[in-house]
Amino acid sequence: MSNIDRRTLVRGSLATMVAGAAFSRAALAQSSEPILLGVSGPLTGPNAQYGAQWKQGFDLALDEIHAAGGINGRKLAYQFEDSQSDPRQSVAIAQKFVSDPRIVLELGDFSSPASMAASPIYQRGGLVQFGFTNSHPDFTKGGDFMWSTSVSQADEQPLLASYAVRRLGLKKLAVLHLNTDWGRTSRDHFVKAAKEYGAEVAVTEGYIAEERDFRSTLVRVRDANPDGLILISYYSDGALIARQARQVGLKQTICAASSVYSPKFLELGGEAVEDVHLGTRYFPQDPRPEVKKFIAGFKAKYNGQEPDAFNAYSYDAVHMAAAVVKIGGTDRRAIRDAFAKVKDVSSVIFGQATFDVESRRVKGAMNAELVVRKGQFALWDGKPT
Amino acid sequence: MSSWLDYTINGLIVGNVYALVAVGLALIFGVSRLINFAQGSIYLVGAYIGWVAVVQLHTPLPLTIIVVAAAAAAVGLIIERFGLRPLQNSVRIAPLLATIGISFVLDQLVMLTFSPNPRALPSQLPDVRFQLGGGTIGPLDLLIAGVGITSALLLFVFLRYSKLGWAVRAASQDRDAAMQMGVDVNRVNQAVFGIAAALGGVSGMLVGMYYNQIDTAMSLQATLKGVVAEVVGGAGNVPGAVIGSLLLGLVESYGVAVFGTSYRNLFAFLLLVVVLVLRPNGLFVSARQAPPEPLTGTFIAPSRPVRIPRWALAVAAAGFAVLPFFPVSFYVLQTLINAWLLGMLALSLTLVAGTIGQVSLGHAALLAIGAYTSALLSLTSAVPVGLAIIGGGLMSAALGTLLISPSFRLRGHYVSIATLAIGEIVSLVILNWESVTRGPIGISGIPPLSLFGYDLISPSSVYWFSLAVMLVLALLQGRLLTSHLGRSFRAIRDDDIAARAYGLSLNRYKSLAFIFGGFAAGVSGGIAAHLYSYINHETFNTQQSILALTVVILGGLGNVVGAIVGSVALVGLPEVFRIAAEYRILIYGIVLLLLVRFRPQGLLGTI
Repeated sequence: MSNIDRRTLVRGSLATMVAGAAFSRAALAQSSEPILLGVSGPLTGPNAQYGAQWKQGFDLALDEIHAAGGINGRKLAYQFEDSQSDPRQSVAIAQKFVSDPRIVLELGDFSSPASMAASPIYQRGGLVQFGFTNSHPDFTKGGDFMWSTSVSQADEQPLLASYAVRRLGLKKLAVLHLNTDWGRTSRDHFVKAAKEYGAEVAVTEGYIAEERDFRSTLVRVRDANPDGLILISYYSDGALIARQARQVGLKQTICAASSVYSPKFLELGGEAVEDVHLGTRYFPQDPRPEVKKFIAGFKAKYNGQEPDAFNAYSYDAVHMAAAVVKIGGTDRRAIRDAFAKVKDVSSVIFGQATFDVESRRVKGAMNAELVVRKGQFALWDGKPT
Repeated sequence: MSSWLDYTINGLIVGNVYALVAVGLALIFGVSRLINFAQGSIYLVGAYIGWVAVVQLHTPLPLTIIVVAAAAAAVGLIIERFGLRPLQNSVRIAPLLATIGISFVLDQLVMLTFSPNPRALPSQLPDVRFQLGGGTIGPLDLLIAGVGITSALLLFVFLRYSKLGWAVRAASQDRDAAMQMGVDVNRVNQAVFGIAAALGGVSGMLVGMYYNQIDTAMSLQATLKGVVAEVVGGAGNVPGAVIGSLLLGLVESYGVAVFGTSYRNLFAFLLLVVVLVLRPNGLFVSARQAPPEPLTGTFIAPSRPVRIPRWALAVAAAGFAVLPFFPVSFYVLQTLINAWLLGMLALSLTLVAGTIGQVSLGHAALLAIGAYTSALLSLTSAVPVGLAIIGGGLMSAALGTLLISPSFRLRGHYVSIATLAIGEIVSLVILNWESVTRGPIGISGIPPLSLFGYDLISPSSVYWFSLAVMLVLALLQGRLLTSHLGRSFRAIRDDDIAARAYGLSLNRYKSLAFIFGGFAAGVSGGIAAHLYSYINHETFNTQQSILALTVVILGGLGNVVGAIVGSVALVGLPEVFRIAAEYRILIYGIVLLLLVRFRPQGLLGTI
């Protein structure tokens, strides 16, 4: 890490920057082939839906980049290899990308076991692994070639806790979380923050991803007698829990993590998700220009479909990759160094994204407090539900 | 106190849902002694046909049910005619593998047609809720219960009193004798598959409506829970399947009540193991009934193995050993490393499944035990990696044998089901035993492979290391097979009663096989842990177990060379089909089906 600091400090002088940019521009112009990003992610298998969402975000971002003239006149493209989120396949894909000189940067994988199994290969091979959904706290500790724009749960969960405790005034909470590395890390950060804000956490229940029946879990929740339910869930399980909570007669306020932010949450949850509160990084009526452009572009490209959180992550990731390649050119080491140099890249999730060189993550995600009203996500007006 | 009433009601409601799948499985098992792993896929197909009918065509509920039942029945008939009937004279294990292949193909077809995104399947029943205990139930709960119980009753009456039902039962007791008496066994099979598939399709649709959610991942879970419920109730026993399902639901619900949500499936699988150990034929099979599995070795048929001359094997091994000197890409080397690691697992499984006849469906658990042991030894106790891997192998051998030993008295399919459950139990223990395994966070920063103080980091050195370990294990196993021990193993597989009559202690030989096999699998897991640097409870999952079994059957049961050839083929094929992107698993499933169809004894034959 000290390595990068030195580079940024010593070589980051203006003269070198200009010379470097001029050099890489010349190198870029030599070729008419597109600049290639490698993507390792699930297209089949149990997580296939997320791979499909990634693609939508990637394609939209590429359209925009090409409409703006590409990267110094060159096109950007990606090669998507299906890993099924299986570590055995992601390591083979990693070797494939590392030994393919056309790949300048890698994106993914989706799950922590698949991503972090491949990290040693990317680190040794000197190819940046840009894990834009990897929230595992140890992901970027794999080496200085691991960078992530995934919102750190140490950042996100206190925001949710503040919404639930300070703004909604909940005092006794029941936390239901996915029992994965993401869910556990999130739960721990949430519980810590909620206690700091003066709330009591009456019960926490972890459930596995394939779970569909939560009735018995909800009896435990009911017996703990909380005044609010916190869902650290994805949209499909979040919708299931909300439905079953209402069916068994739990009427408490529900407050959910931003990962449920998806039109699918409304579709799958129906009336049961009415009045569910959630913190998100952006929302449909968001006045920020980058969000307006993203939502309008997405709807135009995909027949009026509303984008969700994973679409936004992947859209942001390709824009970030483009910004990095603009600085770093096509040399893999220069690209790694460029991650430390990019400043204020326009981002749906962060507004302006700049990497923290120490942690190789981005801090300061945007925050909006939403509530589901009449089957739509709306900004919370401060009125109790 | 009122909470216990609620837990009971909730358990029964979920048991109700499981019953729908279990009844179909029981029906098929009753007739063809086959655990139909494609039942979950038919359930999936039914859910999506239901979605088309409800959301696109706006059919009323009775019509929706008829449409779904008819379409699912058609799928069932196609599976029976083209997937299973051609295999009826081949080994028992071939149709089992065929149903796994069919489920791959069906799941992929649904995913490609409808995209993997979950969809809402709105219920067409009025949304009224009845208060019951502390919660409420809706009309859909009643409909599901009605369909489950009615179909079980109807099937029971049909099997007992109708002429076709007699034929079904006759065919299930003795196929050849039934044929002799003029029963058209094919027609019987068709009828059974049609009915089971129709039921499976309707249940998928109803469960989809119940949760207002359908997605392509629901198929495997449905199969797993359905199989558990069915075996608990007594495989092949239709009313037993309903009771087994309700019991399963209750046990899960009480498990959640006492220990918390993340222990739920642990209780489901523990129930299964306990039932299998205490009453191997299920709770509701009377002692007078003929044992559901044939006593002697028809599960794995003998065949003439392909003899490969030693010099050819030596040349092949030497060829692979010098491969890194040639300009092959690291990608090819990495793919082969994966093949060698899978090869070690397959060696282990081909010994316990092929040579001694204990077809294990939970072999990934041995990988996990070896991987966690090795990772923790090297991280927390600073044991050198080479020794830690051996430690992983030993732990896998010891713990694996210990865990599996209660199921030594089981035979045939029941061994597979018990090992499936033990595999799930190991993975759930890893998830929940946080003080040791770090739970869902997993273990990161596992040191890379090293030997005598030298780090093995370059792809070539990892390649040589894994190839060498695999070859040593293969040679040892080859030696074992030609010794008196190997002959004893095969004797137990082919006829355990005769073997016992000759004075062989079954438990002792089965333990020996699992100790040797557990070591090989544990070493494979240990190497994988140091290769990946990060593992958690999802790294070694059920899909790995199924893949290993596929490799073993493909290569030829008990066949050491076959296990290695099979590993290279099954790691290589999906990589070769990479070009086909989303279609590659579909192609893989079809290739698998064709192999089972035309070479059920495996590429190199059973030894």
